[in-house]
Amino acid sequence: MPTPEEYSVLFLSLRVALVGTLLGLPVGLTVAWALAKTSMRGKVLLDTLVSFPLVLPPVVTGYALLLLLGRNGPLAGLQRSLDVELLFTWFAAAMAAGLVALPLMVRSMEVAMAGVDSRVEMAARTLGASRWKVFTGVTVPLAFRGIAAGTLLAFARGLGEFGATIIVAGNIPGSTQTLPLAIYTNLQTGNDDAAVRFIVFSLVLALAALLVHRWLIKKAVA
Amino acid sequence: MGEPYLELHFRKSYPDFNLELDASFTAGITAVFGPSGSGKSTTLNCIAGTARPDSGVLQLWDRTLFSNENRFLSVNRPPEKRRVGYVHQDGLLFPHLRVRENILFGYNHMPKHRRYLQPNDLVRILEVEPLLHRMPATLSGGERQRVALARALAASPEVLLLDEPLASLDLPSRGRILRRLRAVHKETGIPMVYVSHALSEVTAIAEQALVLDKGRQVALDTPRRVLHDAPVLPLLEPAHMETLLEGRVVGHHPGSGLTEAAFAGFTLWLPAVDRGEGEEIAVSVPASDVLVAAEPPHGLSARNVLRATVSALDRVGDSVLVSADAGATVLAALSPEAASSLELRPGAEVSLVLKSTSIIVLG
Repeated sequence: MPTPEEYSVLFLSLRVALVGTLLGLPVGLTVAWALAKTSMRGKVLLDTLVSFPLVLPPVVTGYALLLLLGRNGPLAGLQRSLDVELLFTWFAAAMAAGLVALPLMVRSMEVAMAGVDSRVEMAARTLGASRWKVFTGVTVPLAFRGIAAGTLLAFARGLGEFGATIIVAGNIPGSTQTLPLAIYTNLQTGNDDAAVRFIVFSLVLALAALLVHRWLIKKAVA
Repeated sequence: MGEPYLELHFRKSYPDFNLELDASFTAGITAVFGPSGSGKSTTLNCIAGTARPDSGVLQLWDRTLFSNENRFLSVNRPPEKRRVGYVHQDGLLFPHLRVRENILFGYNHMPKHRRYLQPNDLVRILEVEPLLHRMPATLSGGERQRVALARALAASPEVLLLDEPLASLDLPSRGRILRRLRAVHKETGIPMVYVSHALSEVTAIAEQALVLDKGRQVALDTPRRVLHDAPVLPLLEPAHMETLLEGRVVGHHPGSGLTEAAFAGFTLWLPAVDRGEGEEIAVSVPASDVLVAAEPPHGLSARNVLRATVSALDRVGDSVLVSADAGATVLAALSPEAASSLELRPGAEVSLVLKSTSIIVLG
């Protein structure tokens, strides 16, 4: 069983991945809907943009986030007025996890939403439902399993986030040191036994996520 | 015919064809008839707001649905603000909602003061009460279409668009839905636009018919007159021509296994139906199964021989379509050789011979 120190790393990792996923959810749903259901201009651009974190080294994604949240970044004024500093906090780690996982989330959701018969959505419009009501009342429920699968995949990816996290949140034990960072630190300091224990926890979490994902996908197809 | 309720004066271009309409629909049931690809569905989509015309005006009662005549005051109401009910041939029910929730979907989206049709009444008229707790995937084709009708009407639309609502149904369901449709029309008075490529449905239900061909408006008149319009005839397919008759069961004949039913002006012997005396019945008689005799025939095995007066002869494809008045109009399709050897002309007295087994009971 995990020791209290190990528990704190586990809980931190789960919190970072969960909050990161929740941050990504509205963005992911909106982008997936725009890609699957509209014929707007600039779709190719949007598609490329959200795919970047999938193909870029996570360190580069982290650097982009660092510039965004930094002292001279576009969000500096907002942080000052709210009297918060996000860099090197667990919240920055969550943002990194959410951003890096976004392409996976969008991909699953887009496929699921594209599978919803647009004629059924149009039928809902003629019954008096606005675009928003059609989205919440028809598109999302009918694409629910795909959306859930994408969310879970993003959560699992967030749990393993390393490169972008270390750039924007550092590696501060008890504050921003998540599972992968703890494994890295223990390996670097020759603490192999501790590293292996964290590796086992990672495996268990990843396996659980994959099993649930598999179940969701199977039901979505059936 | 009543006041015009729907004004359609617009055009819509596609790479392969142009739809151009200049029509007023008058209250009642208007049928839109034409071969596939003639622009029937596009017309409905432009009314419902799921397609956008290139130019022109669409008006429903006193509300402008679409207009770009004046570019400073162009209007294009979104579908949810048009109050146009739309029933598609596949029903398009929400697969994740039970029948009850499907029916209430549009009702719940309508502000209270606009609701003039009550779901309870629709459930009764359309006989969907036993289905309320079922999921759409478990419904038969006819059940699905009745639910789709109830759902569209529960949103209290000002016009109901029906896009081939019977196309995917078997014959008995077709008759049942047609009967329910007419009952809905009678009880609610809601105008309907009924799209079909089957002429028999059009003549059975509509008071006005718009005929389209390749996006052009060929005719707009009563179904009876439209049927004899020269430009319309080439669009008809002899194989699909039939006479639809409505009447009541008179009695059963156990010995022969036949049922007798009375229609306007005559009675017919039909294949036995499981229905009590006095009950309504609708039947279809394919035009190619009606024989025409210049003299009253003798010693025939067929039970149904009707005296009739030829009212019109029309060339349709490779056949001659005989419209004969036997109290109700019955259509018969003959070869041109047969028609000329019988010396048929309007006003001629003939006998029509209908084999009982060729009569299809619809519902």
